[in-house]
Amino acid sequence: MGALTDKYCIVGVGETPHMRPSNRTTLSMACEAITNAMADAGLQASDIDGMTSYQAADSTTSAHVATALGMRLNYCLDIFGGGSSTEALVAHAIGLIEAGYAKTIVVFRSMNGRSGRRMGGQIPGGPIPVATASDDNQFNMGWGWTTPAQRFGMSAMRYLHDTGCTTKAFAEIAVAHRYHASLNPKARFRQPITIEDHQRSRWVVKPFRLLDCCQETDVSAAIIVTSRERAYDLKHPPVFIMGGYARTMTENPQWNYSRPVIHYVAGNYGWKRAFGMAGITHDDVDFVSCYDAFTFTTLIQLEANGFCGQGEAGEFVKGGRLQIDHELPSNLSGGHLSEGYTHGVQMVIENVRQLRYRADDACPGWREGKHTYDRSKGCRQLRKARICCGMAWGWEAQASCLILRGMAA
Amino acid sequence: MPVTIDYSKLRILPDSDTHEWWAATRQHKYLVRKCNRCGHKWFPPNLPACSKCTSMDIDWFETSGKGVIHSYVVVTQPIVGAFIGAVPYVVAIIELDDCKEDDGSITRVAGVLTNDESEVAIGLPAEVLFEETGDPKIVMPRWRISGTATNTWKFSE
Repeated sequence: MGALTDKYCIVGVGETPHMRPSNRTTLSMACEAITNAMADAGLQASDIDGMTSYQAADSTTSAHVATALGMRLNYCLDIFGGGSSTEALVAHAIGLIEAGYAKTIVVFRSMNGRSGRRMGGQIPGGPIPVATASDDNQFNMGWGWTTPAQRFGMSAMRYLHDTGCTTKAFAEIAVAHRYHASLNPKARFRQPITIEDHQRSRWVVKPFRLLDCCQETDVSAAIIVTSRERAYDLKHPPVFIMGGYARTMTENPQWNYSRPVIHYVAGNYGWKRAFGMAGITHDDVDFVSCYDAFTFTTLIQLEANGFCGQGEAGEFVKGGRLQIDHELPSNLSGGHLSEGYTHGVQMVIENVRQLRYRADDACPGWREGKHTYDRSKGCRQLRKARICCGMAWGWEAQASCLILRGMAA
Repeated sequence: MPVTIDYSKLRILPDSDTHEWWAATRQHKYLVRKCNRCGHKWFPPNLPACSKCTSMDIDWFETSGKGVIHSYVVVTQPIVGAFIGAVPYVVAIIELDDCKEDDGSITRVAGVLTNDESEVAIGLPAEVLFEETGDPKIVMPRWRISGTATNTWKFSE
């Protein structure tokens, strides 16, 4: 166990709807997500004294939010980053609170990820008319190879070559996460799909089809971290932070492609620390979240984090293993593939709700933790939700993890 | 079908770390970085220090521009306007033949093939060629399949 295991907690979660388009500013959406998270925790603006966020020059700042909501902060920081930043900023919050720099810290992301700046440079109306390539883009824009789908497709293709896995394994993940979205009133895409639907969907960049790709949305999402002592006084039973790793990198991170095995991703270098810190084994994990920018990013991270052996993820996910009521439920809100795209915050939010037994589903009594566990009636609460392993992805070379437990564990 | 890129919709801006690389492509030379202290080679050329020994005493190594296709993707949905008329096009990672080092280090580069999807496979040899762009300052490296091989692998749908 780590020295700080279970000493810090997630006490509040909140978000805006996933919108396409929002017709709102990132500041407006951030204020809504953060006030929702404060209400969830039972905290006032005056209780928040730290705020951090991550962005890609596409969002508002902590100072703007603090001004709008009338907060006087003891600490604020806005970092450059995308996926895998949420979990890193939670680790960062633990250090800050432990050291006395702040007491209660908001972590947020706010993005017009669909109607504003899109990943890989695409603009809302379609392809970039005239593209300017400087810095790293000198060595990708000129060969039409800029988007995450195009980049990650390269390691996915080599993975298929090296392991014999096929895109039917990708389909298993699309189907599982969409099934969970069908149980989530907040999700953008709720119509269940089949393996065949996946295999028939149009190509985006081979080996990825449309149903391998996440749903870009306009959204803000926020979580609140504080110490165990304060957490006990708040509205919900605390969700304890057991361990994790934070934006862990492989060697040669900015050019993954000269690494010996280009699909030996960053999680491989982190999970032993995270599980050791948490004092658990994989068998203790009741469910996971696994960053699904693409189906492949979920697949490869299960193997990178030791849930199965190297090259075995394709077999591991077969037969619906990742679906609710099966062996290892994954991304219970529907994830980026089907709920919407928050650069990872929503996965932590869903995990917190599951660990509280308060999944916001179709059950009339969900706020009191009363669930039917009847999937045909739209219940998505797990029967057993004690320990969760959240795995996050920046790109092949960068990953984070957050192992959480609820009061029942 | 030749894959045609509309370079008029693309503006490459070399910088102080890369202008020599782009100058070399104008002379139809394909360079990678090389460390003068330990001999390590790498790509892309905008990385200004040796990742093996941290030396910033670095130079260029002119490769033969030959290698083996390590992986590829087939882009069917264009994001950059210059490639609207090019889809579907193949971007490949090529492992260079003459950049293998004693400790196992290898250098791989990326580029667009002139070949289409039906011809590409992992394991095939490829070689660089140089394409005029209309911008006299920028000549773009492309890659073409240059032979056959045993044990090739092709993506099957």
